[in-house]
Amino acid sequence: MDFRLSEDQLMFKKMFADFCTKEIRPRGEHIDQAEEPPVELLQKAVDQGFWAALVPEELEGCGLDTYTYMLMLEELGRADLSTALILSVHNSLVVKPLLEHGTEEQREKYLEALAFGEMLGAFALTEAGAGSDAAALSMEAQRNGEGYVLNGTKIWVTNGAQAGLILVFARAPEGITAFLVEAETPGLTVGYREKTLGLRGAACNTLYFEQVAVPVGNRLGEEGQGLKIALQALDLSRLGMAALALGAAERSLEEAVKFSMEHIQFSVPIAQKQIIQNYIADAKAQIEALRCLVTHTAWLADTGQEFSQEASITKLFGARAATQVADRMLQVHGGYGYMKEYAIERYYRDCRALEIAEGTNQIQQFLIAKDIYQAEGLDIRP
Amino acid sequence: MKIIVPIKQILDPSGVTVRRDKERIFINKEAYILEAGSKAAIEAALQVRDVDGGEHEIVAVSLGEPRADDALREALAMGCDEAYLLTDEAFQDADISVTTAVLAAAIEKLGGADLVIAGQASADTGSGQVGARLAEALGYACVTAVYELAQEAGGLQATRRWGTGYARVQVSLPAVVTVAPEAFPPRYAHGARIMDAYRKWEVTIWDASDLELGTGALQPLLSFRRESFPAPLEVGEKFQGDPAEVARDVVTALRIQNLIA
Amino acid sequence: MDFSFPKEYQLFRRMVREFVENEVKPLAMVIDREHRVPHETIKKAAALGLMGVPFPAKYGGMGGGEMGYCILMEELGKVDSSTGTVIGAHIGIGAMAIYLDGTEEQKQKFLVPLAQGTAIAAFGLTEAQAGSDAAAIKTTAVRDGDDFVLNGAKVFITNGDIADIITVMAVTDPALGAYGGITAFIVETDSPGFSIGSLENKMGIRGSSTAECVFQDVRVPKENVLGQFGAGFLTFMKTLDIGRASLGAATLGGAEAAMEASIQWARAREQFGVPIATKQSVHFMIADMAVEIEALRSLIYRTAWLIDTGQPHILEASACKLFGSEVAHRCIDRAMQIHGALGYSRDHFIELGWRDQRISEIYEGTNEIQRIVIAANLFRPYGLRIPT
Ligand SMILES: Cc1cc2nc3c(=O)[nH]c(=O)nc-3n(C[C@H](O)[C@H](O)[C@H](O)COP(=O)(O)OP(=O)(O)OC[C@H]3O[C@@H](n4cnc5c(N)ncnc54)[C@H](O)[C@@H]3O)c2cc1C
Ligand SMILES: Cc1cc2nc3c(=O)[nH]c(=O)nc-3n(C[C@H](O)[C@H](O)[C@H](O)COP(=O)(O)OP(=O)(O)OC[C@H]3O[C@@H](n4cnc5c(N)ncnc54)[C@H](O)[C@@H]3O)c2cc1C
Repeated sequence: MDFRLSEDQLMFKKMFADFCTKEIRPRGEHIDQAEEPPVELLQKAVDQGFWAALVPEELEGCGLDTYTYMLMLEELGRADLSTALILSVHNSLVVKPLLEHGTEEQREKYLEALAFGEMLGAFALTEAGAGSDAAALSMEAQRNGEGYVLNGTKIWVTNGAQAGLILVFARAPEGITAFLVEAETPGLTVGYREKTLGLRGAACNTLYFEQVAVPVGNRLGEEGQGLKIALQALDLSRLGMAALALGAAERSLEEAVKFSMEHIQFSVPIAQKQIIQNYIADAKAQIEALRCLVTHTAWLADTGQEFSQEASITKLFGARAATQVADRMLQVHGGYGYMKEYAIERYYRDCRALEIAEGTNQIQQFLIAKDIYQAEGLDIRP
Repeated sequence: MKIIVPIKQILDPSGVTVRRDKERIFINKEAYILEAGSKAAIEAALQVRDVDGGEHEIVAVSLGEPRADDALREALAMGCDEAYLLTDEAFQDADISVTTAVLAAAIEKLGGADLVIAGQASADTGSGQVGARLAEALGYACVTAVYELAQEAGGLQATRRWGTGYARVQVSLPAVVTVAPEAFPPRYAHGARIMDAYRKWEVTIWDASDLELGTGALQPLLSFRRESFPAPLEVGEKFQGDPAEVARDVVTALRIQNLIA
Repeated sequence: MDFSFPKEYQLFRRMVREFVENEVKPLAMVIDREHRVPHETIKKAAALGLMGVPFPAKYGGMGGGEMGYCILMEELGKVDSSTGTVIGAHIGIGAMAIYLDGTEEQKQKFLVPLAQGTAIAAFGLTEAQAGSDAAAIKTTAVRDGDDFVLNGAKVFITNGDIADIITVMAVTDPALGAYGGITAFIVETDSPGFSIGSLENKMGIRGSSTAECVFQDVRVPKENVLGQFGAGFLTFMKTLDIGRASLGAATLGGAEAAMEASIQWARAREQFGVPIATKQSVHFMIADMAVEIEALRSLIYRTAWLIDTGQPHILEASACKLFGSEVAHRCIDRAMQIHGALGYSRDHFIELGWRDQRISEIYEGTNEIQRIVIAANLFRPYGLRIPT
C-alpha cells in the first residue's frame, strides 16, 4: 500500500491548485452574490484542462485517472463550490458517459467541443414527479422515422441554460433511453432559473422539450439502457461530490483555524479555548476519514473494480461531513459567521446541497443497504 | 345609543372532519370559538362607535352552555362594555323559537336597545332566522344582510343585498340589523383588553328564573328525529373546446342562471 | 400541577396567531428579499399592545408577563424570525433592561413609549473586540458636569438604525473592571454625536437590521444612568438571562412550523408510488421532531413560570436558548431534507427558515457561552469557579 501521489499526480494537483487558488478562490464571494455562472473564469479554466480532465491524452485531454480527477475536484471544492459543481456535472455526468457509451461518431462530433470550451455539458434526469424515484420519469421519446421526438419537462438541470450539450433521459418504446441533445435544437427552451439557498453561481434551470427532434445518431447507448447509463454516471459523480465535500470541508476548517487564531476573547485567541480546539479536531478527523474514503473508492474505480456501493458510502459520509464541518466552523466564527463577508457563511449554505443533489442521503442509505442485502440474497425495496 | 349584540359560540370547524363517504362527522379536536358572524356583528357595533366616538354602550349577550363565557370575554376584549351569559339546563334543547324568546327576554330585562346587531346566520345551524324573529318579538324594525351601516338623523341608513345588487334602505330605531360577515372583518382584540377580559371584567349570568321565563316559552316547537347528510351537490356542467368559445358559453350559461348581469 | 394555559393566555395566543398569519407571514419572504425592516407590521403590532407584552399596564404594557411574551415569540417564530428578532430585541433586551433596573421616572419617560410601541429600543453591548467577552468593552463614559460623554462603537446592534432609545454599556472606571467599572446608560438616538456606521449583510433574518452604532462625544444626562452606577454589567447580564427564555420560545415556534410543513409535504409528495410519509426514513425524522418539540415546549413555559413567579431561572433560561436553538436547527434541517430540492429553493419558506434559524445559536450569547453559564451554575455551590 502506498498512499503517496505519483509525479504526474503531484504535477496535476499543483497545476489545479494554482489555478483554483489564484483565479477561482478570490472570486467566490462575487460569484455567490452575482448569482451567475462565472463564464469568463470557466473559459480560462479550459486552458488548464478542467474541461478535458477525463478526455484521453490521445485526444489532447488530460487523461486523468479517477483519483487524480478527484484531486482536481477537491481543489475546486476548496476554491468555490459553485464553480466546482458546474465542472463536476460537465465532466462526470456528460463527458464520462460519452466516453463510455458513445459511438465513434458521437465522440468525434462532441468530445472536442466539450473538452475545449465550446460546449458545456448538462445532465437532465429529474422531473417534477421523478426526483428520488428517477425511474418514474415521464418524458417521452417517440420514434419518428430516422430518429426520435422528445416531449416533456426537466427540472433542476444544473448548467441547463449554459450547456451546449445536454444528456437527456426519456422514455422510448423499449424503456428509458439516453439522448445527446444539442442546446440549439428547435423545440428546446430554457425555463425557470431556480433561486437556491447556496451554489448560487451554478444555475439550475427548467428545460422544456416540445417536439424536439433528435436523430437516432444522438441516442447514447441502446434504447432501454438509459437508466443503466445514468446510474453508472452517477456512481462516478457521487464520488466526485464527495471530493467536492472534502475540498469544502478543508476550506471551512482553514477559515475557522485562521479566524480562531486572530480573534481574541477573554484576552486570548479563541483557539486557546478547549471547545474550539475540539471543534477543530473533530473537523480534521472527519476530513481525514473522508479523504481515505475518497482515495479508496477512487482506487477501486481505477483498478477496474466495482465501486458503486463505495461511491454511495463516500457520498453519504462526505455530504454529512461537509455540512457538519461547515456548521461547526461557522460556529467558531460567532456572529461573524453569519455575515456574507466571511467565506464560511457561503460554504455553510453551499454544502447543504450535497445532502440532496445526486441522490439524497436517504437514497444513498437505501442503495448501500440494498447492496448489502443483495449479497445475502434478499431483495429490498426503497 | 345602546347596542345589544347577540353572539354565539360554536364548535371550531377546523377541528372537525366531515367524511361523506362514511356518513360521519369526526371531531378531532374539541374546541369552541366565537362564531365568525357574531364577530362581524360585534365589529359592526364597534364601528358605529368608532365613527362618531359617541357614548354608545355595547352589550354582548349569549345563550349557551357555561363555556360560552369564553365567547363573551372575547367580545369584551374586542371592545364590548358588558357581557351577559344566558344559561340554564332548561335552555338545553332550545330551538329557534326558544332562542328568540330567551334573547328577547334578556333584551327586555336590559331595558331594551336602540339597536340590535346580529350575525346574518350562524356557521353551524345557519337558519338565518334569529334576527328577524327577534325583531318580531321585540316589535323593532328589521334589516337583514347588511353590508354598510351608518347613523343618520332619526335612524339608520343601511346597504343590504338586493337580488344581484344592493339596496340602500332607511330604518327607524329601535331596529334589529343582521350583518353579512364578509362586510365586517373583525378587528384583533387589543392584548391588554384580553388580559382585562379575564382578570378584571365580569360576565353576568342569567338563568330562566332571572329572565322570568316560564315553561311555556321554553317549549321547543321542533323536535329532533335524526340527522342525515344532504344529497351531494350535482356536478356542474363541463365546457370543452376552443378557449374563446368556451368562455362565451360559460358567460351565457351564467347569464341564464342570473348569476351575472 | 396544572399544565393548561390560563384562559386569557389561550385567547391571547389565538389573537396573536391570527395576527401573525394575516399580517406577518405574507411579508416574511418579501422583507427577506427586499432586505428591509417591516415597519408597517411593527405599527400594527404596536396598536394591539404587542410591543409591550410582558410589562405591567402602569408602564404602558399589556401585562402579559413572561408567559405572554413567550407566546408572542413562539407564534412569531412560526411565521417569521426577522419580525421576531425586531420585536424581540425591542422588548426582550432593549426595553427589558429599563424595566428591570430603571427608576420610576425612567420607566415613565422611556418604558411607557417603548411598551406602547411609539418608540423602538435597541440593546448595545457587543463591540468588535467584545462579543462573548462582554466585559472587554472599550466604549467609555466620562463624567462632565451633569452629563456623561460617551465615546466608542458598538457592532451587531439589532434595531440600531431604527431605534429611538438604546441601552448602552460603557466603561466608567477602567481600573474597577466588569463589576464596578461598567455602567449602563439610556441613550436617545437623536443625541448629537450618535451615528450609524455600517449595516450588516447577513445570511438570514434579513428583515431585521444589524447596525454598527458609533458614539462620538455623545452627551447623556446623569439621569439616564441605568441602575446603580458601576453596576451596568449586572444589569445587562440580568437582562440577557430573561431574554434567553423568550428567544427559546421563538425557536420553539420555528421548530413547530418546520414540523407542520414536513407533515404536510410528506403526505402530499409521492415517490415510488406512495407518499414519502410512508417511508421510515421520513416519518422517523418527523417523530424525532415531535419529541424534541414537546420537550422544548415544557422547558420554555416552565421557565416562563419561574420568571413570572420570581424564582431563580438563570440555568433554565440558558437551557431554553441552548436547547431551543439546537432543536430548531435539527427540525428545520430535517424539514429541508424532507422537502428535497424544493427545500433548497428560495421560493420555499423552508429555505428561509433554515437561514434564519442559524442565528439563534449565536446571538444573545453563543451556545458555547450558554454551556459555560450552565456549568458555572452547577459548580458554584461547590465553591468551584468555572473560568470563561
Ligand atoms: C443544487 C441542485 C442541483 C441539481 N442538479 C441536478 C441536475 O443537474 N440534473 C438533475 O437531473 N437533477 C438535479 N438536481 C435534482 C436532484 O437530483 C433531486 O433533487 C434529488 O434527486 C431529490 O429529488 P427531489 O428533490 O424530487 O426529492 P424527493 O425525491 O421528493 O425526496 C423528498 C424526500 O423524501 C425522501 N425520500 C424519497 N423517496 C424515499 C424513499 N423511498 N425512502 C426514504 N426516503 C425517501 C428523500 O430522501 C427526501 O428526503 C439538483 C438538485 C439540487 C438541489
Ligand atoms: C444578527 C445579529 C444580531 C445581534 N444583535 C445584537 C444586539 O442587538 N445587541 C448586542 O449587544 N449584540 C448583538 N449581537 C452580537 C452577538 O450577541 C454576538 O455576536 C455574540 O455574543 C458572539 O460574539 P462574537 O460574534 O464577537 O463572537 P466571539 O465571542 O468572538 O465568539 C467566537 C467563537 O468563540 C467562542 N467562544 C468565545 N469565548 C469562548 C470561551 N470562553 N469558551 C469557549 N468558546 C468561546 C464562541 O462561542 C464562538 O464560537 C448580534 C449578533 C448578530 C450576528
